[in-house]
Amino acid sequence: MVAATGPHGQSVKKIPALTPTVLLAAGLLLYPLVFSGPFYLDIGVTFLLAAISASAWNIVGGYAGQVSVGHAMFFGLGAYSPLLCYTLFGWAPIAGIPFGIAFSIALAVLIGIPTFRLTGHYFSMATIAVAELIRIYFGTWDLVGAAIGLQGPATARGWWDLTFRSELPYYYIFLAVLAILLCLTSMIERRRFGYYLRAIKAGERAARSLGVSVQQTKIRALALSAAFTSVAGSLYSVKTGFVDPESGFGILVSVQMVIIAALGGAGRLYGPLLGALILIPLQSATNTWFGGGGSGLTFILYGGIIVLIARYEPGGVFELWENVAPRIWRRKHAA
Amino acid sequence: MLLVQVIVGGLLLGAIYALFSSGLTLIWGMMNFINFAHGEFVMLGMYVTLLVVVWLGGGPATFGFAAAFTLFVLGVVVYLSLIRYVLRGPMLAQILSTFGLALLLRYTAFWVFSANFVSLPQTSLSGTINIGGVLMPVPQLVAGLIAIVLTVSLHLMLTRTAVGSQLLAVAEDRSAAMLMGIRPDRMQALAWGLSAGAAGIAGALMAIAYPWSPSVGETFGLTAFVVVALGGFGSVPGALFAGLIIGLIQALSAFWFGPIYKDIVVYALFVALLWLRPQGLMGKA
Amino acid sequence: MKRFCLLIGAAAAAALFTMVPTHAADSVKIGILWPLTGNAAAAGQASKAAAEVAADIVNNAHPELGDLPLAKSTGLPNMGGAKLELVFVDHQGNPSLAQQLATRLITQDKVNVLMGAYQSSCSFTATAVAERYGIPFMVGESAAGNITGRGFKWVFRGTPIASDYARTYMRFFADMKRQGRKVDTIAVVNENTDYGTSVADAIVDEAKKADIPVAARIPYIANSSDVSAQVLQLKEKKPDVVIFISYTADSILYMKTMKNLDYEPPMVIGDDTGFSDPSFIPAVADVAQGAMNRSAWAIGKPGSTTYKINEMYKAKTGRDLDDTSARNMQSFFALADAINRSGSTDPERIREALTKTDLKPDQLIMGYQGVKFDNTGQNILAATYLIQLQDKKYELVWPDNAATAKLQWPMAGWKK
Repeated sequence: MVAATGPHGQSVKKIPALTPTVLLAAGLLLYPLVFSGPFYLDIGVTFLLAAISASAWNIVGGYAGQVSVGHAMFFGLGAYSPLLCYTLFGWAPIAGIPFGIAFSIALAVLIGIPTFRLTGHYFSMATIAVAELIRIYFGTWDLVGAAIGLQGPATARGWWDLTFRSELPYYYIFLAVLAILLCLTSMIERRRFGYYLRAIKAGERAARSLGVSVQQTKIRALALSAAFTSVAGSLYSVKTGFVDPESGFGILVSVQMVIIAALGGAGRLYGPLLGALILIPLQSATNTWFGGGGSGLTFILYGGIIVLIARYEPGGVFELWENVAPRIWRRKHAA
Repeated sequence: MLLVQVIVGGLLLGAIYALFSSGLTLIWGMMNFINFAHGEFVMLGMYVTLLVVVWLGGGPATFGFAAAFTLFVLGVVVYLSLIRYVLRGPMLAQILSTFGLALLLRYTAFWVFSANFVSLPQTSLSGTINIGGVLMPVPQLVAGLIAIVLTVSLHLMLTRTAVGSQLLAVAEDRSAAMLMGIRPDRMQALAWGLSAGAAGIAGALMAIAYPWSPSVGETFGLTAFVVVALGGFGSVPGALFAGLIIGLIQALSAFWFGPIYKDIVVYALFVALLWLRPQGLMGKA
Repeated sequence: MKRFCLLIGAAAAAALFTMVPTHAADSVKIGILWPLTGNAAAAGQASKAAAEVAADIVNNAHPELGDLPLAKSTGLPNMGGAKLELVFVDHQGNPSLAQQLATRLITQDKVNVLMGAYQSSCSFTATAVAERYGIPFMVGESAAGNITGRGFKWVFRGTPIASDYARTYMRFFADMKRQGRKVDTIAVVNENTDYGTSVADAIVDEAKKADIPVAARIPYIANSSDVSAQVLQLKEKKPDVVIFISYTADSILYMKTMKNLDYEPPMVIGDDTGFSDPSFIPAVADVAQGAMNRSAWAIGKPGSTTYKINEMYKAKTGRDLDDTSARNMQSFFALADAINRSGSTDPERIREALTKTDLKPDQLIMGYQGVKFDNTGQNILAATYLIQLQDKKYELVWPDNAATAKLQWPMAGWKK
């Protein structure tokens, strides 16, 4: 805890701010030791993937307040690139990741120019339309496997194929990506760029009058967000060894990012992580308990809980945490 | 002749879109609120219709009214128990609430009615009319007429009646309306009732033409959002025109380029149009 | 603490004591992955009921079912009457979830074999997990050709595949031509996902080989709100036979739209799926008279084995057994047969037994020539019938040696 103490005696304030980070990091690092079964590891991997994509969405959707419901377009490009490189050239799938990032950034700039003229629901609708357009197009394009999709190597030809029988390597690779993304986001939070984003969210006209170049800032945020969403997509397809238009570009992929970020707290560093921490175990648990029965109870509960959170914690669960946590801390320190 | 048939078919399909979207646009425009559960309202309207036809053997007037009334009540209940609390919250909370509601409604129907497809037994509205060699299926034709009637009456109600001006006043400025002695909560509950009731009527008419299962809302949902956005959020006549135009574009592009390209054409035109005219076809700038 | 240990010890002893006599009749766990929610839920739910009926047939004595393997006895005779225990999971049509659930079934539930997964996308990912862990995977029904033939050792598919269907159609057309019926051109209308695309591609290939021109191939997006463009295109091209590869809602919509637009080709053939859905007949029986359908399943005459199985299924679900679920059921029986022959719960021995599977036509519920897997795991004796909607039910009309009714050509449609 000493490391957390600031040089100017803000130690008391700093401890509660940093301790959760340390606890979180420790928890995530140690999770595979506690839950070592492949199924629980796979849930952990799914959780990390959801947290990465939602955190990537958060940059433009949360901080800048531009609610994109079409982020699957970047996820899908990222997911297709590795498997396309493998199918076409026989390369290790991992070699396709940079292509996915490059395509996604290009697409972000390309669609950012026209769509960022739109605000609110119009922007959301335009992003949905573009994502759907790409999804349908990929479903008819033979080079990328059309409706049937693409597969990765069934068994690894070497470690570089990243096709592991165990989930453990995936877990730590995903965790590392998440850590990089969160570090970057927390840096942005404290830089001028971060203030610009929040200024845009608060009011574009005001931001412009303060000298923020709104359009350029938005596009930069989208490009950054797209790059990481693309990486999430690549990780998904390398791990799953499969992608088709629905699992890459489907609207549910986009919606899941929005739901997770909103559930946890959009525009907060740990919001998406918290959202994934709630939603993914919830999905797995309801599916494990009720899925086999086939009554649809999985989704009744899932939908019901989302409704309850929206009704009672409209700002996301993170706000609840902020209200409750200080009280716990105070009690501890008093004791 | 073939082309005329394609155009007529497109317009009739467009009428169904307009019917589907009229309730959606009302809420969207009045409260700046996206109801992701609108397709599920229509789906419930279809099941109410089925129950009325199977149990009571009612005709179109009976099941149409039953669906509209049931859904009106549901709309009011949903507003009072959920929407009221998220209405002034962040946009993301609104998305969460109706997305969750959509799942809840869809899978409750799934639980009760099973995943199997159902269709309505033959009713007096089945059949085809032949006008000069152009064929028009009666259910779609009636749907088209009702869509126009519904649009016109919603529009007249909003612009010509006291209740309508109160609704619009609340939409314009909630606190100012409150100062004028209007109770915003009551007005907005009414709007939700009307929107869901319109969805009920849409469901009743679509049940005649389509087979369906609990996930039918998805089939039309996305197109409905495009219709509403294209028409200009909240513009009821805009939704009618946009519905007809999209139906027409889909029919023509399916005929000329092939059915898999029809949605690509719609989305591409939609994005292009938003770029040129960000407020929609008939929306205010 | 001491007392606690004693208690545990006593419990363990009691457990051991009760376990010993029943040890011979251990159970075999079959993990089954199907979409029980989502877009394909109806098919998944119907197949689940079919698997439950099949498990009942194997686990309990059903002497009334004749030669059907494992029906007479209680449980698996070679394993001292061991019962099959089914573990169902719902992958929702999501390939990554299918992967996760396959992992769960293998590592948590410790299943001995796996079965699934309906959507090709989910079969791809779930079979890869089975391959990695060395657990036999029976693909009950999935269209994409390359699910088998990826060099996998542990994957078997009991159902015919797209190219089998396509060849059946061509043989049927050749037969029709010999009888003097006009089959000069055909049209293929297919939904645009893995299923429709695989089957349509195969049909177009085989038609080329059989020298039958394809007048139109019309792919469309499943769950359409409108299909009149497709119907008008067909009306313009005037093919002699139209083959629809469609899911339920679209199949019904096609039949209704054809009536609405007054278009009736000489013959319509539905490629199973939507045309076999139990809701198809009540919805369109009055406008689709004489429409043909592919099916390897026939309910048969009262008193026959298949009729009795259908009665069991009907008692459970209130609906007739459809072809998709019946094919899953047949794959399930083939799997149970292999487990019984292996006499073991060891995956490797079950796999060996599967490779040696050789079921004869009279041991099947389906109209296959048998069940025998080639070295890719594909059943090479799988075949199919063609059936025709006559009045309010499907009649088996082709091939002639199995037919229960006479083929009506051209179809009557709505003109009775």
